[in-house]
Amino acid sequence: MHPVLIELKGITKRFPGVVANDYIDLTVLRGEIHAIVGENGAGKSTLMRILYGLYQPDEGSIEVNGSPVVIDSPRKALQLGIGMVHQHFMLIPRFTVAENVILGSEPAGALGRLRRKEAEQRVRELCRQYGFALDPAAEVSMLSVGEQQRVEIIKVLYRGADVLILDEPTAVLVPQEVDELFANLRRLREQGKTIIFISHMLDEVLEISDRITVLRRGRVVGTVPAAGTTKSQLAEMMVGRPVLLELEHPPVTPGEVRLEAREVTVAGRGGRPVVSRLSLAVRAGEIYGIAGVEGNGQTELVEALVGLRPVTSGRILIEGHDVANASARAIRLLGAAHIPEDRHRRGLVLPMAVWENVVLGHHSRPQFLDGAFVDRKAIESFANERVEKFDIRLSNIDVPALALSGGNQQKVIVAREFSFNPKVLIAAQPTRGLDIGATEFVERQLLEARSNGMAVLLISANLEEVLSLSDRIGVMCSGELVAEFRRGEATPQELGLYMTGTRRAGATSP
Amino acid sequence: MEYVTSLLSLALIASAIRVTMPILLAALGAVYSERGGVINIGLEGIMIMGTFFGAVGDYVFARQYPALVAAIPDLAPAAGVLAAMLAGMAFALIHALVTITFRVDQIISGVALNLLAVGLARFLNILFFGVATQSPGVSGFTPVDIPILEGIPVLGPIATGISPMILVALLLVLIGHWTLLRTRFGLRLRGVGEHPRAADTLGINVYGMRYAGVLISGALAGMAGAYLAIEQAHLYFEGMTQGRGFIALAAMIFGNWWPLGALGASALFGYFDALSLRVVVLPVPSQFINVLPHIVSILVLAGFVRRAQPPAADGVPYTKEEE
Amino acid sequence: MKWRLLVLQIATPILAIVFGVVIASIIVLAIGRNPLDVFGVLLRFGLLRADSLLSILFKATPLIFAGLAVALSFRAALWNIGVEGQYYIGAFCAAYVGFGIKGLPVAVHLPLAVLAAGLGGMLWALVPILLKLRRGAHEVITTIMMNYIAAAVILYLIADVFRDPSQIGTPRVRTPEFPGSARVPSMGPLLGLLGLTGPDANKVNWLLIFGLVLCVLFTVLLSRTRFGYEVRAVAFNPQAAEAAGIPNARIQFLMFMLSGGVAGLAGLSDVLGFFGYLDIDFPKGLGFLGISIALLAKNNPLGVVLAALLFGFLDRGALGVQFFARVPKEVIVILQALIILAIVVAYELVTRYIRMQRKREAERPATAPAAAAEAGH
Repeated sequence: MHPVLIELKGITKRFPGVVANDYIDLTVLRGEIHAIVGENGAGKSTLMRILYGLYQPDEGSIEVNGSPVVIDSPRKALQLGIGMVHQHFMLIPRFTVAENVILGSEPAGALGRLRRKEAEQRVRELCRQYGFALDPAAEVSMLSVGEQQRVEIIKVLYRGADVLILDEPTAVLVPQEVDELFANLRRLREQGKTIIFISHMLDEVLEISDRITVLRRGRVVGTVPAAGTTKSQLAEMMVGRPVLLELEHPPVTPGEVRLEAREVTVAGRGGRPVVSRLSLAVRAGEIYGIAGVEGNGQTELVEALVGLRPVTSGRILIEGHDVANASARAIRLLGAAHIPEDRHRRGLVLPMAVWENVVLGHHSRPQFLDGAFVDRKAIESFANERVEKFDIRLSNIDVPALALSGGNQQKVIVAREFSFNPKVLIAAQPTRGLDIGATEFVERQLLEARSNGMAVLLISANLEEVLSLSDRIGVMCSGELVAEFRRGEATPQELGLYMTGTRRAGATSP
Repeated sequence: MEYVTSLLSLALIASAIRVTMPILLAALGAVYSERGGVINIGLEGIMIMGTFFGAVGDYVFARQYPALVAAIPDLAPAAGVLAAMLAGMAFALIHALVTITFRVDQIISGVALNLLAVGLARFLNILFFGVATQSPGVSGFTPVDIPILEGIPVLGPIATGISPMILVALLLVLIGHWTLLRTRFGLRLRGVGEHPRAADTLGINVYGMRYAGVLISGALAGMAGAYLAIEQAHLYFEGMTQGRGFIALAAMIFGNWWPLGALGASALFGYFDALSLRVVVLPVPSQFINVLPHIVSILVLAGFVRRAQPPAADGVPYTKEEE
Repeated sequence: MKWRLLVLQIATPILAIVFGVVIASIIVLAIGRNPLDVFGVLLRFGLLRADSLLSILFKATPLIFAGLAVALSFRAALWNIGVEGQYYIGAFCAAYVGFGIKGLPVAVHLPLAVLAAGLGGMLWALVPILLKLRRGAHEVITTIMMNYIAAAVILYLIADVFRDPSQIGTPRVRTPEFPGSARVPSMGPLLGLLGLTGPDANKVNWLLIFGLVLCVLFTVLLSRTRFGYEVRAVAFNPQAAEAAGIPNARIQFLMFMLSGGVAGLAGLSDVLGFFGYLDIDFPKGLGFLGISIALLAKNNPLGVVLAALLFGFLDRGALGVQFFARVPKEVIVILQALIILAIVVAYELVTRYIRMQRKREAERPATAPAAAAEAGH
């Protein structure tokens, strides 16, 4: 048995306009948990896609067990014992756990008849062997995020993988689920599996891995043992300069209540309430953070607040005006700005030019109109001014928004939503998918807005972000606000208990 | 009151079963295509090709092999059905190429295909038969009786003297339902229709599965056309599909993208279609009776579409590279 | 860079036409004829004769309306496949105003008839768009079904209700004739001044100019106004538009009504301009040609004019092909369909190519300051 399981040599992969992987060498030892860390865009995912056969490298070679291989498809990767657990789950919600697991390598009889019983039996055995709690006959759409991740891991084990690549596996989990995942990973290592763990969460990387390889801008910065390495060392390797891990959070005296929800109930599909009797109040000069596992009503709450979803009962007040069930336009005109959680879906019209996107929602202001006509000159000068102020990197404002990187796209939205002196800002997942630089930029903007007396409601799945930015934190679980804390009152673990519904408390009023 | 009783008459039900078949076959085809994630508005055009090539195959075979056909008369219509299915697959191949390989909007491709079918049928008809709009008469299959059912009093008239294609179509529905639900092929086809990238990461050939779904839909829609020409009208004439390809899509939606559901929905449309055959006398101008199935399609879509659950990736082109 | 993309965009339809011609040539070869003959005749007959040029203008007139109607709906990401039925109903409404009202001056009667046509088209478009917005019924299938229903309604109205009594006993099934006050005047006199005379010059009517004006107006509306901006936002991303406070449903409704209204006018050139009555055999299929034209024009109203002229030319040339090259004129219908298939593929490929190019170029200047920033640390 060769101690070196996988050896990547000089892997290079170019995309239009960017070198994603630049001559990367990587050695993975048998039976280790090897973390690969780096910012978004550092090339981690590309490298793993190459190893899993989803991309072909432009240059370089791969050796598995000491012999050179060409991995030109996921099928080939699986034959070599390499499996991947994707960041965005590759699961079919309408299929059962067993169907998802066997898809592509199904036990089948004559005429291709599926042997369903056998499949479920094999899935059950795998769960028992590795200590996973899962019902093979359950429909995946009914599972929690943590359970779905277990299905993904079982999928890979079912295919006989010895190497598991986990791409940002903790991004979607609450602390308790992370603990459970780590316990599972350690059990897998004990049974001889090798794990490649991709992340940018440094604490977690240090906790779980044996060795850590740091990537920056498509290159390997170095490989270090986890024992004896500190978080700030890793952070510096990752970013290339010393970084402030904490943003300054200057004291601001909150003003009057700007945004208030009173006993708001919102119905989801089929009339079942997805937000129930939720009350909260956000003051001027305050960031109110909402923590919670995604899918617990945050999306629906935000949509109700900004006029995109009807409210079944309750009141929503913006500076005292009742705006429950008012139109999105009316709410906007009252001075509410909205950074949507999915910038591609709600925030931008991707095929339209940047100058058009910068005024989306404000395009009907008199200053941008010339009668019924669009005053292109006025909009363009406004757009150029915004681009400069918010440091949006682009060749010119005529390019369609789809041509920009995620960070620059988000900056376009931030630039737009911070215009025209909003009183209230509702920011949903404002840093999702951004690299450290862009994240820091957006977080600074939120803090600046707070200093300028804006009332900010921050909804984020990133617990660290909620903790570091918010003056007060509300925890949402199953559509209810189950707890409320002042800054510094709660630890992540404590929040996690509320997020998962393990613990409940009456929400305190401000 | 006479209307009411005549609306339930055996003659009407028997003819409803007959006219259900082309809608059913095309709807079954649509199920395969859309389960794999490809909307096939071109079904109507494929069906037109099926009517024409069904008639041509039948006619030409009878002309070329008179002795053979004299001995086994069913060979000629069988040749017609085969020709129609092959032509349907050839046409569906264009749709597959344009939408799966080139990722053109599936509705646009389907619409263009329908335009092509109309022109091509006229052109080819001139080449084969000298006129643009109709073929000479062709022979159908020998009708069969269903052994057990024919003895039962009420069902007897319905179970005797029916086209063997009806039995084949019903069998295909059962096979289709079983295939989609219980086989490896069905699971994979549904997988690429629900979440092609997930299927792709598991080593399933997404394009291949989608091609298969579209080609099967072509074969079935071609067969639907052949039924119209060979079994129903005994000739091809221009415009004989009367939008049944589109009605089939409505039937598929109403049937919730499952073959057995499509069977029920097609029967509903078939029933209204049968009314236009003047088996019964209705107090409505004949022009309107002719479009009853079309009106019902609109009502069904307006009334039930919210209940229906299309495959998650239905109509979305799949690309291996991420953008 | 910019002009290179422009050249590419202009070259795309031409390449698609060439592709269509090549495939059509193969078909012609397959039936034992010489494609050079066929396309030679097509060009000579279609373009080198004055009467052909005039005929192209006449044939293009209804196609402009049909193409524009489809393009308007496609621009709003709506699938109005129902232009066919909408212009049947529009034509009937115009005819009804034409023969039903007598004694009006032309300045009132003709606009009234045109208005009726537009309203008729809108009426027929109303059902699918309401069912889409209220009930979620997909407009592709409902508009197609409405086409069949329109054909039945027209047949019933012409044959059973409003049939010209003087024609009963003859095989002609049509409405009564309209008085001159409801007829669109011919451009013949004006064309005569240019030295173009004859029956084909007289067939060209002022609806051609009306159609051109509409195309220009819609170009301005869609590219320069607030409404046009909102239409683009709704078409490309209805959810982002909604979040921006743009009333999605209203925009879609308005665009579909405009589409239906313009569709209603497609039959007028024949009914009010040429025949002067509505016959059950009046020209059919304009709605489907309109789809082809809109696709070819990439939903650009000015492109619609060019595409309509191309289709008018192909239609006219088809006659020559039939008479002189003795190839069934349906080969031209096949050619049209092939061009459409080729064009949609070509547009798709070019769009993807341009998108990639733009991505590559969009953030180019970004590298310099970023690198500088890094070097600074």
